[in-house]
Amino acid sequence: MRRFPHTWCPGCGIGAVLKNVAMVIKELGWNYQNTVAVSGIGCSGRMSGYMNLDAVHTPHGRVLTAAEAIKTVRPDLNVIVLSGDGDLASIGGNHLLHTSRRNPDITVLCNDNEIYGLTGGQAGPTTPKGTKTLTSPRGEPYLPLRLGRMLTLQPPYFYARTTVYHLNHFKTCIREALLWKGFSFVDIISDCIELNGRRLGFKTAHQMFKWFDERFHIVKGERDHLQENELGIAKAVVEEAPKPIEKVEEKPEIPTDLKPFTLQELHHFDGTGGKSIYIAYKGKVYDLSTSPLFQGEKRMRCHLAGKDLTKDMDIAPHGEDLVFKFPVVGRLK
Amino acid sequence: MKQLISGNEAIFRGAVRAGASYFAGYPISPTSEILQQAALYSEENREFRFLQAEDEIAAAIGTISASLAGAKAFTATSGPGFSLMQEALGWGHVVEAPCVFVNSMRVGPSTGMPTQPAQSDLLQIKAGSAGDYYPIAFYPNSVEECFRLTVTAFNAAEESLSPVILLADAFLSHLYELVDLESIDINIVPRSKEPLGSGQRLFTGTAHDKMGNVKTNDPEIYRAWLWEVKDRHDRVAEKYPSFEYLPCKNSETLLIAFGITSRIVSSLKDRFSIFRPIRIYPVLEKELLEVTQSYRHIIVVEGSDGQYASWVECAICRKVMKVPCLGGGFKFKWIQSQIEECLKGTDR
Repeated sequence: MRRFPHTWCPGCGIGAVLKNVAMVIKELGWNYQNTVAVSGIGCSGRMSGYMNLDAVHTPHGRVLTAAEAIKTVRPDLNVIVLSGDGDLASIGGNHLLHTSRRNPDITVLCNDNEIYGLTGGQAGPTTPKGTKTLTSPRGEPYLPLRLGRMLTLQPPYFYARTTVYHLNHFKTCIREALLWKGFSFVDIISDCIELNGRRLGFKTAHQMFKWFDERFHIVKGERDHLQENELGIAKAVVEEAPKPIEKVEEKPEIPTDLKPFTLQELHHFDGTGGKSIYIAYKGKVYDLSTSPLFQGEKRMRCHLAGKDLTKDMDIAPHGEDLVFKFPVVGRLK
Repeated sequence: MKQLISGNEAIFRGAVRAGASYFAGYPISPTSEILQQAALYSEENREFRFLQAEDEIAAAIGTISASLAGAKAFTATSGPGFSLMQEALGWGHVVEAPCVFVNSMRVGPSTGMPTQPAQSDLLQIKAGSAGDYYPIAFYPNSVEECFRLTVTAFNAAEESLSPVILLADAFLSHLYELVDLESIDINIVPRSKEPLGSGQRLFTGTAHDKMGNVKTNDPEIYRAWLWEVKDRHDRVAEKYPSFEYLPCKNSETLLIAFGITSRIVSSLKDRFSIFRPIRIYPVLEKELLEVTQSYRHIIVVEGSDGQYASWVECAICRKVMKVPCLGGGFKFKWIQSQIEECLKGTDR
C-alpha cells in the first residue's frame, strides 16, 4: 500500500482490473510467497507495482519472456502478467506468438483499452478501423489485430474476453484463467476516458461502460472460439498429436508366368552393341530400350542399365510411375 | 586429465562450474556450440533449464528474469545478436540482476563477414544501451582462460549485481587446446540476491528509490543511485585488475593487444614489450598510465579501427599508434609489417 496514490486518471478502467485481480488472488489464498506479478510498459504496466507481491517491471514488450523465464526457474511460483494491448500485441507480438506456443503455466491479463494511453493517445494494434487518434487524424486506416483469433489457432489455449463493466463475468474469467494449467490469456476490454473516450465523444467513463454493454454480449457454455462481439471463455486442451505415418512396404504381386531373369542375365542387357536396355524394379524386369534418356547409352546419369534399380528410387527426383510406363519383359529370380 | 576442447566448450563448462542453472540463447555463429551444449546438458540435468528463444531479445530478457527468479543465468551471442540484447543489458543494470553475457565477436557492422573474427564490439559493451551504466567486461586469450574467466565473470556479476560481459572472438570460440579443467581450482561466489517470492519488492527499469518505489522526477535519488552503482562496480572491478605485462629490455615500443591478437603478437616478445589487458572495461587506467610511462612508442594492435586505442588515449592522455586488423585479417606477417611501418616514420 505504500506506493499509493496511483498514477492513473480518474475513470480509468485499470483501477477496476487491479482491484478485481487483487480480490481473486486473495480469494484463492495466494500471497507474496507464492505469487509474482510481471508487467510491461505503459499505463497498465504500472499495475504490478501496486500489488503486495514481488513485482517485475520489464522493458517494453518483453513481459511474456520474462514471465516464462521466471516460471521456468521457479515452477512453485504463480506468475501473473499484468499488461496492456500495445505492450503485448504490438511491440511484444512476437513473444506473444512464441510464448503461447511453448505454453508455460502463466496467466496473462491484458488491459485492452484500444489506445496508447501513457504516451498521449496514439493508435494501437487493437484500435478499431476509423478511430481518430493523434497518429490517425483521419481515422485509423487498418483493421485491428484480432487477438482472439490469433491465440485460438492451435490448442491448447485459454482465451477469455471480458470487459471492466461486466464485473461478475470479469471476476469469473480471471479466476478461471488463474486456475488454468498452461498459458491463459484474458482480454479485458477497458476504457481510457481521458485520451481516447473524449476524442470519441464520450463525456464520462460511465458512458463508455454503456458503450461496452451495447457492443458486447456474454455467451454461456463451452466455446472453441469467440465472435468479435462476444464475451466469454474459449478453451481447448491439447489435441492428440498426429502420429507419424508409417510406411507400409507393399509386396508387389509378380505374375509367375513372366520370363525369369537372374542378375547375371540381366546384366547382359546393358544396351551395349545394340542390345536391349533392361532394368529390374521391385522384382519385375522392364525394357527401357525406348526411353529417350537411356537411348544409345549404357546409363542415364546415375542409373546403370542392366541392374536392379529398386533402391535408386529412394534418392531419385521422380516417382516410380516413370518406370511403370515401360513394357514388362520378365521377373527377377 | 587433459582434454582437447574448444573455447566455446570451455566457456560452457566454466559456467557450469560457477553454478549456472539457466541458459537462454538463439543460434548464431560462432557461439551456437554453447547453445547446443546447453541443450544437451539440460537433457541430462533436470535442474539446468534451457530455452532456445525466438530471438536474442527474448534470450537476454529471459536470462535477466531467470537471474531475478534466483538462478545463475547466462546467454551467449555474437555482434548482431548483442545489438539486440542491448535493451535487456540496460534493464539488467537498473534492476541489478547478476548474470553473464558472452559475446564472441565477428566482423560487423550488421551481418558483416560471417564468421570472420574481429574485436570490434568494445564500444558496444559500454555504450550500446541508453543512459549511463558501468559494465564489467573480461577478454580471455586461451581456452583455459575462457574457463577461468567465465567463472570470474559469474563471481564479478554476483558481487557487482549486474550483467557482466565475457568477450571472445570467432578464433577463440573455435580454438581447440589441451587443457585439464578438473585440476583448475577456482573460488566461486555464491548466489547473492534474494530470489523472487520473498518480499514485496518492485524490480523496475524505471528510476526508483531503495524500496523500489518509482521516482521519475527526483534528480537527487537518481544521482545517489547512479553513484552507488558506479562505486560498487569500481570496487568489484578493482578486485580483478587482470592484465599481463611482458617487458622487453632495450625496447622503446610497447605493443598493446588483447584476445587473439595478443596470441599473435606474442612471438614478437623478444623485440617489443607487450601489455595485454584482460579486464577490458572498466579500462585499466592506472595500470596503463604506469606501464606506458617508460615507452616512447605505443602501438595498439586490435581487430577494430581503434576502439581500444581511443580508450588508451583517454587514459594516458597521449597519442598512440594503431594497427587495425580489419575484415578478419590477423596474419602475423601483415601485422609485423604494419608495426614496422608505424615505426618507420619515427627515429627509433
